[in-house]
Amino acid sequence: MLPVLAWLVLLPILGAGIVAVLPTRRQELVLPVAIGVSMAPLAIAGWMLWEFQTGTAEFQFGSDVTLSSALDIGWRVAVDGISLFLIVLTALLFPIAIAASRSVTDRVKTYMVLMLILEAGVLGVFIALDLLLFFAFFEIVLVPMYLLIRMWGSENRAYASIKFVLFTAAGSAFLLASIIALGVLTGDAVGGFTSFDFRLMLLTPLSDTAQLWLFLGFAIAFAIKVPLFPFHTWLPDAHTEAPTAGSVILAGVLLKMGTYGLIRFNMTLFPQATVDLAFWLGVLGVIGIIYGAAVAIVQPDVKRLVAYSSVSHMGFIVLGMFALTTQALQGSIFQMISHGLTTGALFLLIGMIYDRTHTRAIADYGGLASVMPVYAGIFLFSAFASAGLPGLSGFVGEFTILVGSYLTFPVLAIIAGGGVILAAVYLLWAYERMFTGPTNPKLAGLSDLGLREVAIMLPLVVLIVVLGVYPKPVMERIQPSTDAILERIEFVTGEQFPEFGGPDEVVEIEYGTIEHGGGEG
Amino acid sequence: MGNMSFLPVAFEVVLLAGALLVLLVAVVAGRDRRFWGPIAGLAFAAAGIVGFLQFREVLDGGEAGLFFSTMDLQIIRSPMVVMDGFSAFAAIILAIVGFVGLLAAWDLVVRVGRRGPEFVSLALLAVAGLHIMAASPNLVMIFLGLETASIAFYVMAGFTRTAKDSEEAALKYFLLGSLASALFLYGVALVFAATGSLTIYGANSIRDFFSTDIVTEPGILLAGMALMLVGIAFKVSAAPFHQWAPDVYQGAPSGAVGLMAAGVKVAGFAALGRIFVGGFVSQIDSWAPIVAVIAALSMVLGTVFALVQKDLKRLLAYSGVAHAGYILTGMVAGIDGIPAMWFYVSTYALMVIGAFAVVSVVEGPASTSAPLARFSGLVRRNSELAWLMTIIMLGMSGMPFFAGFVGKITAFIAATSVENPWPGGTNGYVWLVVIGTLTTVIGLAFYLRVISTLFSGDGPEEPIHAGMAARFAIVIGAVATVVFGIVPFPLLEVVRDAFPL
Repeated sequence: MLPVLAWLVLLPILGAGIVAVLPTRRQELVLPVAIGVSMAPLAIAGWMLWEFQTGTAEFQFGSDVTLSSALDIGWRVAVDGISLFLIVLTALLFPIAIAASRSVTDRVKTYMVLMLILEAGVLGVFIALDLLLFFAFFEIVLVPMYLLIRMWGSENRAYASIKFVLFTAAGSAFLLASIIALGVLTGDAVGGFTSFDFRLMLLTPLSDTAQLWLFLGFAIAFAIKVPLFPFHTWLPDAHTEAPTAGSVILAGVLLKMGTYGLIRFNMTLFPQATVDLAFWLGVLGVIGIIYGAAVAIVQPDVKRLVAYSSVSHMGFIVLGMFALTTQALQGSIFQMISHGLTTGALFLLIGMIYDRTHTRAIADYGGLASVMPVYAGIFLFSAFASAGLPGLSGFVGEFTILVGSYLTFPVLAIIAGGGVILAAVYLLWAYERMFTGPTNPKLAGLSDLGLREVAIMLPLVVLIVVLGVYPKPVMERIQPSTDAILERIEFVTGEQFPEFGGPDEVVEIEYGTIEHGGGEG
Repeated sequence: MGNMSFLPVAFEVVLLAGALLVLLVAVVAGRDRRFWGPIAGLAFAAAGIVGFLQFREVLDGGEAGLFFSTMDLQIIRSPMVVMDGFSAFAAIILAIVGFVGLLAAWDLVVRVGRRGPEFVSLALLAVAGLHIMAASPNLVMIFLGLETASIAFYVMAGFTRTAKDSEEAALKYFLLGSLASALFLYGVALVFAATGSLTIYGANSIRDFFSTDIVTEPGILLAGMALMLVGIAFKVSAAPFHQWAPDVYQGAPSGAVGLMAAGVKVAGFAALGRIFVGGFVSQIDSWAPIVAVIAALSMVLGTVFALVQKDLKRLLAYSGVAHAGYILTGMVAGIDGIPAMWFYVSTYALMVIGAFAVVSVVEGPASTSAPLARFSGLVRRNSELAWLMTIIMLGMSGMPFFAGFVGKITAFIAATSVENPWPGGTNGYVWLVVIGTLTTVIGLAFYLRVISTLFSGDGPEEPIHAGMAARFAIVIGAVATVVFGIVPFPLLEVVRDAFPL
């Protein structure tokens, strides 16, 4: 019997196999079967959520199988409070995105197979604790996403898809070189063969110079993925041209691979470099917040508007991470989940209206609220959630980030606060132009959301409210892991980060003995 | 001969016998009845079995390192063939390459009609020559193997000589190839002048010389090594000695290119491993930096030129230049790079045969140029072909879970682990690895361009029928790409035993 995390990755692949062998004559079976098989990882994720031990930063559900002594790559996987919710988010968004793909009629089978392979890849990214394995998953995600944009995207798909791949892969080049270098250094340090075991790497003493270079090598890959200003230019094109499900997955989970990588690898493996560069990454985050929001305001294309809003929201997450306070770090992980839900919801809604009108230009709409009241209501709700209205999930994330960041970078936090206001501006202004005023005659007679479409939106709406009102179950699972990361940074670098409520208690270090400051390694 | 076994030379003997038998059967049973086809296949199969037997023998330690020497002169006591893990693994791979390459070329064999037997026997002879390059410790023998294979390939490149391009390609290949062979031979002569030996192992060998004597003529030795390196770099189309490759690949009949490209790469790198890692291992500080520069140039130039190609065969030729660079990246690590080299070159060989087989199916086996536009919308003409080509392209591009990724990773790890001989550098060839990862990304651009073309909306509509043999070759290439990408571990274990003595 395989361990649970192996099933988590295998089930979507098996599901893809099932979809692939469906008889070609029965096209109508493809969508229900694909939804069905994508529920399997969700069930596992739900089970993990239930079984997850609260109050510890230990990795859980782990397996550690060395696959080959010839090339040290192992099936080293485990989950902690940081990855847990990203896995749940992924497992949740995929069935929704697949269910929302009914407008795909051309080569449906291929489409679903690619979606399921994509799901396996993303889940693999969030569980891998072997850096080569992580890289493999991180990189393979590009292929199904490329093909999804290339084959089912809108007019400019050829350009957008290749731009997406080349931008993100360019970062991966440095990531791979850094991973290999770190693996070799680890091998030297432990006196054995080259190893890519994350937990072994934690024990590797790295000089400050080595840390700096490796940090940059890792960071550039993740910064492009996030995307952090100024590496964001691929994002609006890819999001805009991708099919609806592609945009949902891109914004919902693919971007989180970048922020997850920054937390899991950059902050944990290179504490000194993290402290040294934290301010500058925070600055880039804040530039992203303001820039993304400002550009979003002037977008004539509503899908592009939401795409730029992602740049802004992801900036918050990066700022929260590198503020290096427990509140801000928790907040940024919470915001990853929240952004996945709210932006996912917005892209789904845009997809639904696009299926009816085949236009994304804001100017083509107007007065939609009277034609499609249910749609307008859910859109306004999602826009509020995205803009961070109190009581909804977006508020919890951004508020904790701002409060936490204020302790370390007060100026940055204040500027970032402006981003919250701008978010309200671009979203509500877009709402006003699209939904209020006189009804555009071309829109008359559009059908409102059907039961199926409401059912697709419902899980997201419910979760946005639940997380906004009662974030504690999520926070208390995230906190031990984020604390462990900050404690490790404090321990290794000797820095003391500001915190609410006085100085630190004496804490146990979760990662075992850590030697620091050795020579060249 | 004493207790000498037949096994070390059985590979060559089987293939030569096969080549003669093919011609004989063609005369006796008639050229048109193609009885000779299965014979060639059986010869490759038998040669592959010989390879396995050799490998098992070596692993058992029974006859490992047995020298099969026929020339026992007083001055140069010289073993001619060596059987070790290296040569045995080369035998297995070359037999597979020969078999699959012949499958891919089968449409061409059918197309050339009555001249088919000649083509098939040339393929058998060529593979025998290629194996000598890997299995002989004697530099002159290596040269003879190189020439045996090269001459066979010159003829194969011009096999459809009625087509103007084919004739031109063959002539170009011949002239430039001969130049490379001459350079190699001159290098052999200079090494002989410096060390007084032509052989890598045994008494009075080159290794012997390095371990006991002081190099009195370092200049001559270096010049000799450099010329040999250039000769081999030319054969494996490493930059800046690659200019012939695009023209020859484009001009040669599509059906034959896969076998040529794959075979020469396998044997060329085997010879490089045998001579430089086996023979000049103690001189690694003087040749590894040069190899690193050639590797960097190959990766950069191959990738950049592949980007702008409008012809799929030329694109594959330039990508082959880049792949030579990745393999050389691993080889700067010397002995530690050998497993990486084997893994890379054996998976690449199957991929490149598959890729050219696709060209051969789409454009016809005797076709010369293959404009990328002609592959546009292939998915609607033959979706199986398009998907298999997609897999092979992803494999070549170095995507994870495809064989090319594992090859690159092993090569990069080898290059990073090595001590850098240059002053100040202690972290291995990190610069080379960074160039490698960057060119991999740029390479994605053209591999994805090919994939994108296959799935684009325009282009010819009429369905394409793939012949059984070519289809089989393509499937083998794609399956190998996926299998060795997802479970590379058995092969990685095997290549760890494929060291030269």
